[in-house]
Amino acid sequence: MNKILLIIRREYLSRVKKKSFIIMTFLTPLLIAGIYGLIGYFTYKGIKDTHDKVAVVNNNKILIEKLVSDKNIKYEYVTQSLEEMKKSFKKGDYDYVLYLPNFTLQAPDSIQLFGAKQAGLSLNRRISGDIEELIRNQKLKESGIAQSDLDKLKTSVDISVKKIAETGQEQDSSAGASTIIAFIAGILMFMFIMLYGIQVMRGVIEEKTSRIIEVMISSVKPFQLMMGKIIGIAMVGLTQFILWIVLTLTISTVAVSFFTNKDDIKKSVAVSQAGQGVAQLSQGTPAASAMQGPMADIQKSLAGLDIAKIVTVFIFFFLGGYLFYSALYAAIGSAVDSETETQQFMMPVMMPLLLGYALSLSVVTNDPYGPIAFWLSMIPFTSPIAMVVRLPYGVPNWELALSMLILVVGFIGTVWVAGRIYRVGILMYGKKTTFKEMFKWFTYKA
Amino acid sequence: MLSVKNIVKQYATHRALDNVSLEVESGKIFGLLGPNGAGKTSLIRIITQITAPDSGEVIFNGKRLNSDHISQIGYLPEERGLYKKMEIGEQILYLSKLKGLSTAEATKRIKFWFEKLEMKDWWSKKVEDLSKGMQQKVQFVATILHQPELIILDEPFSGFDPVNANIIKNEILELNKQGATFIFSTHRMESVEELCDHIALIHQSKKILDGSVDEIKGTYRNNTYWIEYEGDYNTNSANGIFEVLQTEQVKGKTLIKVQLQPDKTANEVLSLLLPHVSISRLDEVIPTMNDIFIDKVKGQDHE
Repeated sequence: MNKILLIIRREYLSRVKKKSFIIMTFLTPLLIAGIYGLIGYFTYKGIKDTHDKVAVVNNNKILIEKLVSDKNIKYEYVTQSLEEMKKSFKKGDYDYVLYLPNFTLQAPDSIQLFGAKQAGLSLNRRISGDIEELIRNQKLKESGIAQSDLDKLKTSVDISVKKIAETGQEQDSSAGASTIIAFIAGILMFMFIMLYGIQVMRGVIEEKTSRIIEVMISSVKPFQLMMGKIIGIAMVGLTQFILWIVLTLTISTVAVSFFTNKDDIKKSVAVSQAGQGVAQLSQGTPAASAMQGPMADIQKSLAGLDIAKIVTVFIFFFLGGYLFYSALYAAIGSAVDSETETQQFMMPVMMPLLLGYALSLSVVTNDPYGPIAFWLSMIPFTSPIAMVVRLPYGVPNWELALSMLILVVGFIGTVWVAGRIYRVGILMYGKKTTFKEMFKWFTYKA
Repeated sequence: MLSVKNIVKQYATHRALDNVSLEVESGKIFGLLGPNGAGKTSLIRIITQITAPDSGEVIFNGKRLNSDHISQIGYLPEERGLYKKMEIGEQILYLSKLKGLSTAEATKRIKFWFEKLEMKDWWSKKVEDLSKGMQQKVQFVATILHQPELIILDEPFSGFDPVNANIIKNEILELNKQGATFIFSTHRMESVEELCDHIALIHQSKKILDGSVDEIKGTYRNNTYWIEYEGDYNTNSANGIFEVLQTEQVKGKTLIKVQLQPDKTANEVLSLLLPHVSISRLDEVIPTMNDIFIDKVKGQDHE
């Protein structure tokens, strides 16, 4: 037992002391914060800047009502013909020219949009939506409904999603917040298992190619060496994960307090001064207030999520999934002489993980309670990712417990299988290993 | 101190060791010889508990080999290896702690050996910065640091320059004097003759020769002598005492290789020759371990 601790210690310290680890650990939260800042900045900027000016050439005799401009799009009806507009277009008063030919309401076709740049999908949708509404209103009017009645028809609906907890209490929840948490957790889980699983494999190959392995296993049992390595690297992963959480929280707290202070000062000096940066989101510009709706929603339902539970379950499934996969990676590492030979073995190990990742982020987020989500979160090959993705939507406790149990049984199984392959593989040199051979090793007596 | 009894080790289609038995006496240097692929490494891996035999047993100091014995055995494998990115001091410390030494004791001993082998400022160097010979030195220190009773060296001198090989040889002899038992696996026969008390020859998974170096050499003497003389002598008249195998003329002298009849001695040859020629040299032809090795291995192959 003492020996395993020594191995864990070496595997842990030799990695944590590395420059690349320190850089990765401290840089990543900054990077994440930076990326979120950029996303926020560009979303904000995007909202402010999409102010397309569209010249409308209306040859239609029926559509008398005009398209309505708002903060994102400005329609201007011009009297010139389409040909004239096309010729004078280069002067650049307008971004696009919309041509409405004289169609009947039953068959509105040949509508054209000209522009120096290709109109984006959202703009296209926006304009066709506006025209559709115009046509619909026109049709309704023709069937004898007054404008005032039309206005009354419009109602805005905002569904407040509540989940009934097992105790019968209502909880605020938002599909948005759950989905964001699910995505982040799923991606993190996939990354962690991949990164650290491959580190285990590299470590095994390193010991094999540097030939230290024979010295090592004259002192310790192969199984001790394998487990020491796996556990040591798991602790490196945990350290990194915890540091990331702590650092991200620290950075965002500092940033938030910094920006709020600045905002207060700004407000007292000049209220509506435009500037750059994420902080402006919280100021009273129209774009920001448009953002505030969903943001506030998400914040409200974030409070409804049990973050402590999510983090605990995440750590459990990270450890379980990592142990499950890293044992397989260790077996692969033991069977080859160099990293270039690992390809053929990596595929079958990677496939279920990738599949779990892809399905979790598509099928499971769409239908977190469906049969596919259920089975993905039970099968240990995919459960670490699928379960943390399902978790923010709420998972019955018995399912969680069952999935955990299966995962524990699963990793005991893979560790056992890998151990048997490992003890033979690490002493084999110069042969190209096949799956058949690995199976033979597995059946060898101790 | 170590008895290997009827060891059999079978790999899928290949029998690596076929009923091999050995007896290594305490305080001796034991040479384990054999051509490549004979099964030496397989046997060593069983003694170091890296693998287990299919049948047979190994007795260490009267007890069946078990994990308590790991700390009493030091092993220098033929394929040397260290963690490339680790500092040398840390590395030896780690390896000796795995053998059960405390940090304080190991540190003290590492300092002692670094001093002794002129490696004083090596502690915080990395393995990848050292030459191959220097790495060998580090590995040797790591092998013996926990003062094992039994030290197994697989081709210990490969990769050493003559100066360092000599340093290591002297350390081996000194450790041996202090009571450590050695098993040497090698095919460099000169080092066997210099160091080993006892040898075993393994060939094609079987032990084909076993005994003390002197004994083995004794049995391989076949009453053959080199005689160098000046003058004329008709060797045909020596019938009944010896037979000439080879004759050479060197700078006016004659050199003959003779084989004596089984019951005759060198004295009789001399008394026959002395009246006729002046003798300048007489040597018994003693086979070197190299000759014995080649003879035995080839003989086996012809059977």
